[in-house]
Amino acid sequence: MNFIMSDTKTNNSFKSYIGLHDTNLSAHDISNDESFSEILLPKLLPGEMVVAEAHSVLLFTPVSDKKNGKLGVLVVTNFKLSFITAEEEQNTYYISYQRNMLLGPNDVSLSNVDVLYQISSKKRKLTPGSSVSDQVKGIFVLCKDMRALTFSFKLSPPGHGRKLTNALLHHGFPKQHHLLFPFEYTVPYYPGNHQVTMFRTAVDWEKELTRTASVGWRISTVNQNFRLSESSPQWLVVCSSILDKQLREAAPHFNGGRLPQWCWSSHSGAALVRMADVVSASDRIKDRKSLHYKVRMQENILLETVRKSHPRLTQPVVIELTKDMPSLRHIQVSFCKLRDLCVADNEKHFWEQDSQFYSSLESTRWLHYVGNCLLKAVNAASNLAKDITVVLQESDGRDISCVIASLTQIIMDPYFRTINGFQSLVQKEWVSMGHPFCIRLGHIYKSNTQQSPVWLLFLDCVWQLLQQYPLEFEFNQIYLTTLWDSSLIPIFETFIFDSEKERSEASSVSPVILRSVWDFGEQLPERDIASFSNPLYRESPKHLEVKSGVPCLHLWSQCYFRFLPILEIKGGGKPQVDLAIRELLLPPGSSVMSVESKQQIGSFYPFTHWNTRNSVNQNSLLLSTLSLNTTDDSQSIISFSCD
Amino acid sequence: MDRKTMSSELLNSDSCNLHNASSDSLGSDSMSSSLTSKVGNENVEPAEAVPTVRPDDPPLLPGEKVQGVAREVTYVCPYSGPARGVLSVTNYKLHFRSLDRDTPYVIEVPLGVVNRVEKVGGQLSRGENSYGIEIFCKDMRNLKFGHKQENHSRRNVFEKLQQYAFPLSHKLPLFAFEYTERFPENGWNVYEPIAELKRMGVPNDMWKITKINENYTICDSYPPIWAVPSQVTEEDLRQVVQFRSRGRAPVLSWIHPESQATITRASQPLVGLGAKRSCEDEGYIQLIIEANAQSHKLFIMDARPSANAIANKAKGGGYEPEDTYQNAELIFLDIHNIHAMRESLRKLKELCFPNIDESKWLSGIESTYWLKYIKCILAGACRIVDKVENHKTSVLVHCSDGWDRTSQLTALAMLMLDPYYRTLKGFEVLIEKEWLSFGHKFHLRIGHGSDNHSDADRSPIFLQFIDCVWQVTQMFPNAFEFNEFFLINIIDHMYSCRFGTFLFNSDRERTNEGVKQKTVSLWSYLNSSIDLYRNPLYHPQPHVLEPIASMRYIQLWKGYYCRWNPSMRPQDPIYQRTRELLVLKEQLEKNQEDCRKELRSRISRSIGSPSRLVASPKH
Repeated sequence: MNFIMSDTKTNNSFKSYIGLHDTNLSAHDISNDESFSEILLPKLLPGEMVVAEAHSVLLFTPVSDKKNGKLGVLVVTNFKLSFITAEEEQNTYYISYQRNMLLGPNDVSLSNVDVLYQISSKKRKLTPGSSVSDQVKGIFVLCKDMRALTFSFKLSPPGHGRKLTNALLHHGFPKQHHLLFPFEYTVPYYPGNHQVTMFRTAVDWEKELTRTASVGWRISTVNQNFRLSESSPQWLVVCSSILDKQLREAAPHFNGGRLPQWCWSSHSGAALVRMADVVSASDRIKDRKSLHYKVRMQENILLETVRKSHPRLTQPVVIELTKDMPSLRHIQVSFCKLRDLCVADNEKHFWEQDSQFYSSLESTRWLHYVGNCLLKAVNAASNLAKDITVVLQESDGRDISCVIASLTQIIMDPYFRTINGFQSLVQKEWVSMGHPFCIRLGHIYKSNTQQSPVWLLFLDCVWQLLQQYPLEFEFNQIYLTTLWDSSLIPIFETFIFDSEKERSEASSVSPVILRSVWDFGEQLPERDIASFSNPLYRESPKHLEVKSGVPCLHLWSQCYFRFLPILEIKGGGKPQVDLAIRELLLPPGSSVMSVESKQQIGSFYPFTHWNTRNSVNQNSLLLSTLSLNTTDDSQSIISFSCD
Repeated sequence: MDRKTMSSELLNSDSCNLHNASSDSLGSDSMSSSLTSKVGNENVEPAEAVPTVRPDDPPLLPGEKVQGVAREVTYVCPYSGPARGVLSVTNYKLHFRSLDRDTPYVIEVPLGVVNRVEKVGGQLSRGENSYGIEIFCKDMRNLKFGHKQENHSRRNVFEKLQQYAFPLSHKLPLFAFEYTERFPENGWNVYEPIAELKRMGVPNDMWKITKINENYTICDSYPPIWAVPSQVTEEDLRQVVQFRSRGRAPVLSWIHPESQATITRASQPLVGLGAKRSCEDEGYIQLIIEANAQSHKLFIMDARPSANAIANKAKGGGYEPEDTYQNAELIFLDIHNIHAMRESLRKLKELCFPNIDESKWLSGIESTYWLKYIKCILAGACRIVDKVENHKTSVLVHCSDGWDRTSQLTALAMLMLDPYYRTLKGFEVLIEKEWLSFGHKFHLRIGHGSDNHSDADRSPIFLQFIDCVWQVTQMFPNAFEFNEFFLINIIDHMYSCRFGTFLFNSDRERTNEGVKQKTVSLWSYLNSSIDLYRNPLYHPQPHVLEPIASMRYIQLWKGYYCRWNPSMRPQDPIYQRTRELLVLKEQLEKNQEDCRKELRSRISRSIGSPSRLVASPKH
């Protein structure tokens, strides 16, 4: 690796780069440290640099009353917080863990770090600017993916803990976009030949119009170079009957200049359309009334053109998404409460939570919000099924609209239940339509943040659909969990920008490589990508009839509970269903893996953390066979029978 | 098969299609009917067996007779609204068939599930359907019928319902004694106590089989055959029996094939307030400890909360004091009594039927405590498994009498420890052994044939056990040979009184009543169409199951408790699809086998040629 921890130059250059006031941070102390004999080196990506490290750090097993743990080196780089422990142990992890090439099972990206606490005489929350105690005994790191890591510096040489904590505090909460890792990550990118429609060119939109056999809609260049709306795509699909001039006139009256934009059409010609709310007049009290009248008129003009785009000129239905839907704040609060239920300090705490789990879960409102989203999408879909155009309207049209528009299309159009279709859908409704991923996922730290996991809420909704329709999706929950994880790895252009404008600027102004998340090969080996597929999938053209009531919803335990080893069912859970079905699909006589290996597979597979079994025989776990690459065997059968 | 009736979910809320009436559990489960349609119903249409059938008569089972009919009755469905039709009562079931809908809408309720029947409204009641009959069932539903307010139109049906729903209160036989259907397999042979003990390697050096209770003279609620430590003398055993509540001495339930650690079951010791001792009982417990060379200790799992165990001393019972039972460690599992469970299920029914408050669903479930109790039982079973499997230490389980909570715990622990009990036949054996032969009082707990619906002895203990089993099947979806439908069938027929299996309170009573000779076993029926109950994902796993008794995983069994509500009916496409795949796979395997045979025959035909050396097939 290029950068080893004792490289003084690196550390010095880092000091100025991030403006650490603690000038003591140097390699001097570290290289003088004799207490840690083993040399454990972090795996660094090109462009990644070690900022600080602490030796002889203890990482406690979750919910173990701080009685169990591992000893290792804790490192902060400009990309991740990495805990490095003896190599041997890492290997056993990899058996039941997705082999991510960017992050190991004990690593968290800095973007994943949500809240940092220092443990000295008591637990205290640290925010950028707060000072780290000299007496810091350990840190508690609460992550966005519901991981809670407790590190102790009890055995570390003096000063290590404080330096590390300071470094994490400064690097873990970057205040500016260009401090994110992709601006350093220099590995060349060769876009794979994934067949995802990126919706960055007029051709892509044209293709989608053709695919859905839409009439009454045209592609407008009015927003080229984002002149009209900074958050909208450059290519707007608008009603054929409206002129670009009218669009230019109308744009200022809509929040963010976001005009009615076509998303999708049914076979009968009903369309799904998204638009922002009209600008509210509150800041210009003087001519409030006349302005109000003016904006409403503009809104009506545009809605009228939407009506004209319907082949039978049917009046569209406007579904307001600001009403009776959770606000961004609600979603964030709900998420934090849910996370509280997925993190436990000790076993006593865990079982206390358990005794009231149902009512606590209810009071998080999370499932309730999932149900709200599903219900809205069901409403939209039923209108579309009745050949009525649906207009989704939301204040900025960049958050819940993305959720509802996507879900509606998944319900209506089987294409979006394939992997390529789903990815294209995310490109269309989230990326191109300017969901502010960077703000919502909190890649950049702001004190009055608008962080809100709308994206996770959406993935959860899709997961619920997977539970209700296990045969209708080409992908499985591993795929969805991986997508959530990927959004917290600040490498992919998909998730680190707030709009297409920002993406195009970033690539032209400061050269950053726009690496798409859809090239899963950037982070995962082939066999893990193969595990995304749902072995039960079969194509079917039907609309989904979705149940949205809380009694019909479930908690996504793989995604939310996987960092609680106490909850892993050994030899059980959904992975066993998956394995059993994959086995059924294999030629007779062959099997995915041995019975012994199967019972090692836990319910969180392939996200098993803290696998306590040490007798795992690596050879018995031929995970590559998961890819269903069985042509050889089936061939042999065929040739056999033709004998 | 008429699939139309199944296609409309709403219409179908409470019923099934006519054709399946005899083959599914109560002619009411969606899964059953869809399954039957796929596999085909091998059972003879019962209606054909009765020649004098009238057009609007319900399909009848052999031995079933129509007792009363009411026309122009309205069934007030809480989900799809009122339906007009004909209501019939037989000696087995209530049958309603709508006449005003395109697809006939049928409801069948075996009268065994009826808890109570009430008249609603009088001659002067106003409002639509305000005059009629309401039926409260043990299987989480109520039915309401509206009758015409003239000529006492409901009287006959009401009386027949009373008589045949509660035959024992009216000096009539239970339907099981009139039911005459024959099945290819005789389910009464499923469980052979000696064969089952042999399967576990008993008798061996440490354990022997004794027929001390052959005529139920020592203990009337125990089976005639016991496995006990081989060192114990008959005299001592008689003394032990004296020191245990209702003579239920510690006897073997299960023995670990490798470590020889055992699970034994008993009732509470008769310690009383005077701290009575029995040196025979103490010595006997020591023999149980010594029978396991791997450990010098025994865990006594008292299923009760400690307060209840202490309170039992006042009634002459109690628990083993650790100072007199020296190598035993006592653990209270904190499972509440039958009254708490009955009350909990009552609350659960209020929550689930007929309509559900979605906004308060989760906290509502919590407030019934049903799942909390399930968790408690599972946690107890997990502790037993942990001691036996991971610590190689024997466990003695008891509660007060040792026929409710004890059966739940031993049966669950055995299910987790021994893969045999996770097969279809093995599970039947488990129920026969731990529940029936050891005298769980089914008659008293269910209240078969009795109109005393407020009887304090009634309690859903066995249902709770089946629920626990279901929870484990959810955590280990491929470890069980049977599916959910099998479990639902068992519960439904525990109530239905169509089969003799769950009648009476003990082995002794069933023997005295000639149940085996006079009634059909539930296993005859289930095993005759066993394919319906197979879990297509099943993959025999030799290992011990360690479920996690956390509320984060324990869920309400909607497929059972909420099945009458069409909006809650779970779909199980995985099940269907996997079955299809399984069939395909079997075909493929057969093809492969045919090819092998073909190849072999070709090889043998070319025998004598030099190719013989090359041609030995390698599989």
